[in-house]
Amino acid sequence: MFALQDLHLQGLSLLSPELTLVTTALVVLMMDLIWKERDSWRLGAIGLVGLGAAALQLVSAHGTQGTAFGLVSIDNFGGFFKLFTSAATGVCIVFVMLDRRERRHRIGEYYFLLLSAAIGIFFMVGTYNLLLLVLGLELASLASYSLAGFHKGEKRSAEAAMKYVVFGGLSAGVMVFGISLLYAVTGTLDMRVMSGALAIDPVGEGVARSLAVALEQSPGMVALAMILILGGFSFKISSAPFHFWAPDVYEGSPTPVTTFLAVASKAGGFGALMRFFGVLFVAPDVGEMVAAYRNEIGMVLALVAAATMTLGNLAALRQTSLKRMLAYSSVAHAGYVLVGVAAMNQAGMEASLFYLAAYYFMNLGAFGFLLYFSGVTGRETLESLRGMGPKAPMITVPMVIFLVSLTGIPPMVGFTGKLQLLYAAMGPAEGLQLGWLAVCLGLNSVISLYYYMRVVRVLFLEDSDEPRPEPQVPMAVFLCLMAFLTVWFGLFFTPLLDLARSGMDLLT
Amino acid sequence: MNVPTEHLLILSAILFAIGMGGFLLRRNMIVVLMSIELMLNAANLAFLAGARQHAALAGHWVAEGPVMVTFVIAVAAVEAAVGLALVIAFYRRKQTVSLDRLSPTGAASKAN
Repeated sequence: MFALQDLHLQGLSLLSPELTLVTTALVVLMMDLIWKERDSWRLGAIGLVGLGAAALQLVSAHGTQGTAFGLVSIDNFGGFFKLFTSAATGVCIVFVMLDRRERRHRIGEYYFLLLSAAIGIFFMVGTYNLLLLVLGLELASLASYSLAGFHKGEKRSAEAAMKYVVFGGLSAGVMVFGISLLYAVTGTLDMRVMSGALAIDPVGEGVARSLAVALEQSPGMVALAMILILGGFSFKISSAPFHFWAPDVYEGSPTPVTTFLAVASKAGGFGALMRFFGVLFVAPDVGEMVAAYRNEIGMVLALVAAATMTLGNLAALRQTSLKRMLAYSSVAHAGYVLVGVAAMNQAGMEASLFYLAAYYFMNLGAFGFLLYFSGVTGRETLESLRGMGPKAPMITVPMVIFLVSLTGIPPMVGFTGKLQLLYAAMGPAEGLQLGWLAVCLGLNSVISLYYYMRVVRVLFLEDSDEPRPEPQVPMAVFLCLMAFLTVWFGLFFTPLLDLARSGMDLLT
Repeated sequence: MNVPTEHLLILSAILFAIGMGGFLLRRNMIVVLMSIELMLNAANLAFLAGARQHAALAGHWVAEGPVMVTFVIAVAAVEAAVGLALVIAFYRRKQTVSLDRLSPTGAASKAN
């Protein structure tokens, strides 16, 4: 039974970042109706202020442990992903404000949907309860469907939304069915009760069984449930076998939305996935039975990781559109991050968190570049970038840094991240052999070198008589800042490492 | 009347398989959305079967499963609303609701 003090108002203060975002989203929606402006940067500013306030609250709550209303858990792990999400959503809002093509009269709804998706991710990464996890995931997904189809007059956008909603619905169905099977065998929706970490069932009296018991009684159902739930997560992080929607949706969506899907939404999926598998299998006090099972799950995740990165990189080789290439590259990066999760131990998960932080800087930068060039030239093909390198160095030089970092060449942060993942693959949980995955990761980096460097070649080593692109100062400043951070954290990575390490309070 | 839990779970697995089959085989978007609803409802049945089983063990009902079901029903309704809205937007452009009229995966870049 819920204890009365759980329903006390102190839960609300733990939820202050979420409440701030909800308020901000509603204020944006209302002010949109009141101001009725076509080109309203003020609405974006409100969104940014709200996200900034939420981020400040998250930073000040660093180290706090607690549970609000028995459902929302406050910890550093969730804090990491919430901070990540608010920072990424903030950048997406800035992108919308900078994008000439996005300035249209329904702009208030655009910000509202972005903020709603961020709220969904907040709940998804901040809970041990599968019910709230599903609700958060659905909130994020539903807002994203509408965002993908925001330019409903455009063919590509309408198609992108259609594909997204169809595959999103499928993955929701698969995941909820998996959860229902897991509930049928364990009698609880709380991951901590399943893992045995929380002996007392928070809602029922003694009907819940831990996963270890369930494994003994019905191993087939548990295996089926795990595969189905992994399938649902796989959609959210765009990993194999549910990655095929990603290139089309990423390409058809407006670029700021693509950025959101590729960065914030993917990180949210990873947050939920890592919490789920981390608590159930990696936590130190799991029994012998579960530890043996853990290695099988680790092997499945490793296969998924290898398939994802290979498929993403091979498909990226053939692309002529920069946006589509970045979409496949983001699929490949989901595979890289999964390497750390597949290692099934604390060091591996830390490596994944570190790589996600690195991914934030380099990928936001690359998408900012794409946004700038597609805004200036109206095209997204590699052709249109020909010879642009020397003509706009403040934009293209940062892009070269992002591409080098995405490949994983020192001294960029992408290299440090990949090194961590390699270490993770070399030293996975006891009884798990992932040396082949490390080799696969190395080979994939070599493949990716080809298509990333092709962009550099087109930019700098080829000539064209296209006019000098019109400069855009805020975007140049943003890209230079991101490039600086990409190099800085590549050399002095201790702060990011500490952040990743503090995020792993999940497993203690 | 006492239906064993296993039978209910098997029924829900059959419903899920029908939904999955409909998703994979049918090309009409409305039918595809219906198939997704069927999969969610298969999950609901499994939740309730599990909840009944645990209620029998504990001697009283536990709210968790039925609460999940009500939320999944709500989620399914919202999904249907958003999905149908997008289908209408698509229909206005293409005068069809067939998935065959989407550009095949991998060919979208040629449409530019």
